[in-house]
Amino acid sequence: MNKKILSFFLACSIFSDNLFAGGSKVGLQGIKQIGMAHTGVGFAQDASTIYFNPAGMSFVINQFVGGMNALIPSTSFLEKGTNITTDATAQVFTPLAAYGQLKLSKRINVGIGAYTPFGSGVMYPAEWTGRYTLTEVSLQTIFIQPTVSFRITDKLSIGGGYIFANGRVNLEKDLPIASSTNSNDAHARLNGDAKGNGYNVGIYYKNDKRFNFGVTYHSEVTMNVDEGTAEFTNIPTALSTTFPAKNTFVTELDLPAEIAVGTSFKLNKRTTFAADFNYTYWKTFDSLGFDYGLNTSSVTDAKSPRLYENAMAFRAGIQYDASRNTQLRVGAFFDQTPIQNGYVSPELPDNDRLGLTAGASFKLEDRLQLDLSIMYQNVFKRTQTNKETGLSGTFHTKVLAPGAGLTWQIRKRTSYAKNY
Amino acid sequence: MISNYEKMKKYILQIAGIGLLFSACKTNLEPQLISSGEANFSRFVAVGNSLASGYSDGALTLEGQKNSYPKMLAEQFALAGGGVFKVPYMNEGGGNDGSNNAGRVLGFVTPCNSSIPSLSPILNPKGSTPLNNVAAQGPYNLVAVPGIRAIDANWNLYSLLNPFLNRFVQTPGTSTLLSEAMRINPTFFTLWLGNNDVLGYATEGAPAASANPLVPAISDDVAVKVALTTFVDSLTKFGAKGAIANVPDVTSVPYFTTVPWNSVILTQGKADTLNQLYASLSLPITWTAGANGLLIVDSTQPGFLRKAIDKDLILLTTPGDSIRCGGWGVLPDKPLIDRYVLDKDEVTLVQLATSNYNKSIAELAAAKNLALVDMNAYMRTITSGIVYNGITMNAKFISGGAFSLDGVHPNPRGYALIANEFIRSINAKYKSSIPYVELTKYKGVLFP
Repeated sequence: MNKKILSFFLACSIFSDNLFAGGSKVGLQGIKQIGMAHTGVGFAQDASTIYFNPAGMSFVINQFVGGMNALIPSTSFLEKGTNITTDATAQVFTPLAAYGQLKLSKRINVGIGAYTPFGSGVMYPAEWTGRYTLTEVSLQTIFIQPTVSFRITDKLSIGGGYIFANGRVNLEKDLPIASSTNSNDAHARLNGDAKGNGYNVGIYYKNDKRFNFGVTYHSEVTMNVDEGTAEFTNIPTALSTTFPAKNTFVTELDLPAEIAVGTSFKLNKRTTFAADFNYTYWKTFDSLGFDYGLNTSSVTDAKSPRLYENAMAFRAGIQYDASRNTQLRVGAFFDQTPIQNGYVSPELPDNDRLGLTAGASFKLEDRLQLDLSIMYQNVFKRTQTNKETGLSGTFHTKVLAPGAGLTWQIRKRTSYAKNY
Repeated sequence: MISNYEKMKKYILQIAGIGLLFSACKTNLEPQLISSGEANFSRFVAVGNSLASGYSDGALTLEGQKNSYPKMLAEQFALAGGGVFKVPYMNEGGGNDGSNNAGRVLGFVTPCNSSIPSLSPILNPKGSTPLNNVAAQGPYNLVAVPGIRAIDANWNLYSLLNPFLNRFVQTPGTSTLLSEAMRINPTFFTLWLGNNDVLGYATEGAPAASANPLVPAISDDVAVKVALTTFVDSLTKFGAKGAIANVPDVTSVPYFTTVPWNSVILTQGKADTLNQLYASLSLPITWTAGANGLLIVDSTQPGFLRKAIDKDLILLTTPGDSIRCGGWGVLPDKPLIDRYVLDKDEVTLVQLATSNYNKSIAELAAAKNLALVDMNAYMRTITSGIVYNGITMNAKFISGGAFSLDGVHPNPRGYALIANEFIRSINAKYKSSIPYVELTKYKGVLFP
């Protein structure tokens, strides 16, 4: 036998798994909006409109709004034909969103926002049956978006912002390589910082107090990982040359563009209805590749197909002014998965999802408001066999996300409620 | 303002209440109900040869027995009413191949033409494990004997000849594989025999037929059929149900497919020199620059020699250094002899016999209403490669990940694949729902 035999070894890609999906799009960009199923394209009620529709700034008074969510997903997997159920390790994520805006002139508003539009994280217990497909993944992004809006007429405005995107990605899995001296599985870990740019533009129409309408386009953001680190541990000595200890990788993650259309109108004096439609161009995410600094027979540059499909989401919510100082909100949404059967994997065990939300705002002081929200999602059970890894079974995920935030008006206005 | 805070408190409580309600909604994935269906696993006996014994890396070891597919099956059956499963365990150690040699592990060997050690199977440094006699603790549920052929299964003297059987039977010289299986009074059995009826012949490179029954030859199809029928008749006499596996095409295992037939690489100069030498001996064999087939013995050819072609299989046991540096397979006085080659005609005979046995096994399964485990078809899927939970496996030696270092027997992970194939057939036949073995619990090839 010679080295040639080794060269066959794991001549598959080390990492060729799903990384992003519909589920990685975090719908938690504003506490008030979350309470109404994350609607806000046609309902500019606070500075969060910097994300939802930059043009909406023209109809919002000077303010700062910030909030945080505790995102608590719970994911389980039942392997086909077995009685083995794996529960993903419990984790809590805390995405933040903060926005501030100022009126410069009668026509021009400026603002800045920081938010987390994409993110995901799953961790599976050691020794779980799918550990050779994934043990852990996390993706964090933060978008910083300076924004300007221009009021064309009393009723119509446009706005746009430039996005500086920063992120961090970490991907780990065990390798099916067993050592005669070490009982731990070989392990691979890829992690790196990512950077990208994009923009966010919108148009907003408000014909009177009763009717609002908006359209927003979020551009594609290509996140580049230029100096990722690839680490391989617990590699048997005999194979150490095929898994270089210090290795790097380069990859590109295409965060998709989205177009959103939204409206809101008053059903009666106290009740506002809002609805959004989102269409995300996931088709741009057709493959994921890793380009390693050092290539060996086992560490080969890999490009694996994703073949995502464009996906839609429908959102609707109601806000009720319970009193002069209190608003209550409820909402529901349906979010379509972009992942086809055969491509679902433990990184993002995605499926169509149904969400229910509720929220409330309370005036604490004249210029200070407390916002609360809660979001519940049921990612429907999905049974399929992954074409690349053969992992076959049923995934089920439920998500709970309570959130809280503050809205602080920078300049006092006589009638706060008038803004709505 | 006070009343406002109170109201707020009320709302916060309401929202918290909704939150609690939501958090109560955990994911709910209900595993299937495990059931034995129409089968009864309370007394399970697994009958077979080395494959059922857990033989691996060229020896029977305690570790191998623990990772045998019958042991895996018994653990799954235990979830559906299965009872105790006694295994005639060996002692800890490097194992025994039947001739007191230990099994193999991966180590480093420096080839004759290199100074760089390369990865290669070596004898297990733990040394061989003596075959312990465990007859007193019998009867056993795992009745599996390395080397046994179907035609040996009902032969009483065989227990004197095969030390693997001898070590656990009630009365050597009287007891047979069948009589030992019957001591369990099984309600369910698995039976996998017939591999050695061709494999013994093939792994020895198909020696010339002999009158001596212990010299490997391909067993007669009718004799195999009679032996298996007798076996199944006895097992099912009291209503036992079971599964019978057929014989995979043994020539697709790494033992036969690893050493390339055309590993003689020559320069033009070398080829010219050889051609002169062969011409001087009046041997009609020509060598060319590049890859040439190894020189092998063939009694039908002039000078009893010819160059191997792609349909000839060179056995894994062929000494590599003798080919690399000793002139084996090139020089006219050093052809590869019979025991290292299964030539194309012998391959045909092996495949014909396999197909005849499998016909009998299918008929027997149908006649006795048993689950038929089509290992022959399954082996073909492994040969072309499978992916299971991110693990890629195929029938390549070492790198394929499913076969052990002897190139014939699976490693623990490969045995888990076999166990799952049994479960698939049993569930289909008996409407049972036995969960599959968790394959990732079992290791593949161990690297130093």
